[in-house]
Amino acid sequence: MAENHDRASEPVLYELRAARKRYGSGDTLVHAVAGIDLRIERGEFVVVAGPSGSGKTTLLQLLGALDRPSGGDVLFEGRSLAAMSDAELAGLRRTTLGFIFQQFNLIPTLTAQQNVEVALAPGELRAPDRRQRARDLLGRVGLGARAGHLPSQLSGGEQQRVAIARALANEPRVLLADEPTGNLDSATGDEVLALLRSLNEEDGISVVLVTHDPSSADSAKRLVRIRDGLLLGPAEVVPVTAA
Amino acid sequence: MFYLSYIACELRRRKGRTLLTALGLGVGVGLVVTVTALSNGLDRAQRKVLAPLTGVGTDVSVTRPLKVNAGGAGFAGPGAGLSASERKQLEQENGGARIGLQNLGKPGAKFQQTNFVTLTQLSFPATTIGDVKALAGVADVAGGLTITALTVSGTVPKSTQPQGPPGAGATGGPPRNINFDQLSLAGVDPTHPTLAAISPGQIVKGSYLTAGVTRQAVLNISYARRKGLAVGDKLELKGRTFTIVGIAKTPIGGQASDAYLELDQLQRLSGRAGRVNVLYVRARRADAVGSVQESIERSVAGSSVTTSKDLADRVGGSLVDAKNLSSKLGTALAIAGLIAAFAIACLLTLSSVTKRIRELGTLKAIGWPQRLVVRQVTGESLAQGALGGIAGAVIGVAGAAVITAIGPTLKASVAAAASPVAAGPGPGAGPLGGSFGQGAVTSGSALVKLDAPVDVGLILLAVGLALLGGLLAGAVGGLRAARLRPADALRHIG
Repeated sequence: MAENHDRASEPVLYELRAARKRYGSGDTLVHAVAGIDLRIERGEFVVVAGPSGSGKTTLLQLLGALDRPSGGDVLFEGRSLAAMSDAELAGLRRTTLGFIFQQFNLIPTLTAQQNVEVALAPGELRAPDRRQRARDLLGRVGLGARAGHLPSQLSGGEQQRVAIARALANEPRVLLADEPTGNLDSATGDEVLALLRSLNEEDGISVVLVTHDPSSADSAKRLVRIRDGLLLGPAEVVPVTAA
Repeated sequence: MFYLSYIACELRRRKGRTLLTALGLGVGVGLVVTVTALSNGLDRAQRKVLAPLTGVGTDVSVTRPLKVNAGGAGFAGPGAGLSASERKQLEQENGGARIGLQNLGKPGAKFQQTNFVTLTQLSFPATTIGDVKALAGVADVAGGLTITALTVSGTVPKSTQPQGPPGAGATGGPPRNINFDQLSLAGVDPTHPTLAAISPGQIVKGSYLTAGVTRQAVLNISYARRKGLAVGDKLELKGRTFTIVGIAKTPIGGQASDAYLELDQLQRLSGRAGRVNVLYVRARRADAVGSVQESIERSVAGSSVTTSKDLADRVGGSLVDAKNLSSKLGTALAIAGLIAAFAIACLLTLSSVTKRIRELGTLKAIGWPQRLVVRQVTGESLAQGALGGIAGAVIGVAGAAVITAIGPTLKASVAAAASPVAAGPGPGAGPLGGSFGQGAVTSGSALVKLDAPVDVGLILLAVGLALLGGLLAGAVGGLRAARLRPADALRHIG
């Protein structure tokens, strides 16, 4: 359902126009995203909430240029992601987007510092600069003392903070978080959400967070509900006042 | 480079997979190294046996053997199948009549008579040497003479008539006080030491024959031992005394006579001046031996032309059997082992990529371009290949060392040369029996201790093969990784 808002003067980060994504064919055809119109502005903290199987992860993957829409279009800063090549999408992901996953997705054989460095590896930073930046980022998320530990030696919350540091490695304009607190206890989850809020408020990084947990919506400046591949609710997104 | 650190971390922290892949490659490659080392050892053993045959300098030897009876029923007597002139020549060369006892002296008198006979081959004029030398592809030719000195000695019996009642037929064998001795002789041209029945390299004691020095002889080591003769001793031959100047050891498959004299002297002693019955030919190039052989067969009537390869082909025994087994079964085994090793490496790499789908998908998600992901997978495989090469080299060297330590002894044997004249008594053959095949190829066997040498080239081969295996596995895994779509990879439950 289309949104109605008068924000034409503000820079648009994302614009989805009847975006669709389907999987399979025939009897197994699934419309994960069934036609979504959505605008996300720069600097927003948007929470996309919905039950399991509602299409929220698929929506995030479309926003993150991890997948191409089956129909409609996904525009990032005015550019159609469907028209970009795989190499261009990879470059976009590296330089502009940061990803945070529910299962952290750290490389198990690399240390915390090396997991942050892995995001910097395709770039042109010299090795000493790369290592220093990784240590700085780990310090920023409160893990400076744990740089040399393997993921198996870190708690869930610590692993997620390493993942956040990795996501910040290339100074992204957008952080895309897929159920970042899904594998964490509530206290740790709150810490992670607080970190994301501070990144949004202090650094101006746009955040799009998908979750099935309604309590995560408290972090949002804007809440979008999704079910069966479609956005729910009234035409206007209901802004949520931060607690 | 971060890429190398990442590879090192992967190999170090996924020890099981790394060891399994490296070991799989290592065993396959090690098998190749061991089999190749074994094959090299067998080649070396064969060369050791054959070198004296092929290294003498003679590429081709030419004789004029007597023909076997066309009925194939064995020897049909000297002269069978020969032309009238050749039969006459044979009779002249062998002195015509049998050894007779009628003219040796009065009964009771002591006698010794030596006849030089050849029953297996005809001679030809020494001018044939020049004819053969003029053929295309021939570098040098030398002549030789191989004959048997048959010495009869003893006391003239009181009666030379058959004993027993008239009509009863001959009784018994020869009189008991008659001795028969035979000595196979070869005439050597000392001006062509590498084109002769023996070469200087075969002298084990003393020296080779010297051109221009008279009454010198070289003995075959087996004959010298049998007769208890040594360098400096004398050899009596038809009333002439020869000084033994050297002892020679002919290899199996090489020509062997009991004694070697200067060709000139043997020709005069045996009444065959200007005659030879074997030619030693050297070709200009190794690849010309075949054509030289054909030219000689066309040019020299009735000739039998033997190449060093023909001699080598007659070497048999467990050495040859082992070599054939190594060539066929060993090679097949090594190839099968290598294919299995490559397949294992590919499967393990594919399995690893499948297990790491989420990880590789994450790399793509955070912005790694496809080529870097493929490079990562390929690099890890290559590194495993390098480890496999080291393992393979160690396994291969160990296998070769075990073979060398065990040092099995193999036998190389050569049967006596097939003579156109059957052994055994026959008309003109005398009562002694045995082959008069002078200049026969030395039959018997030699024992060779087997080793399995490993050289730097073989080690490099091992590492190279393992790297190839790693590259192949990396290509397979890289292809799988390249086809990963980030969204699908992240959805993978792993």
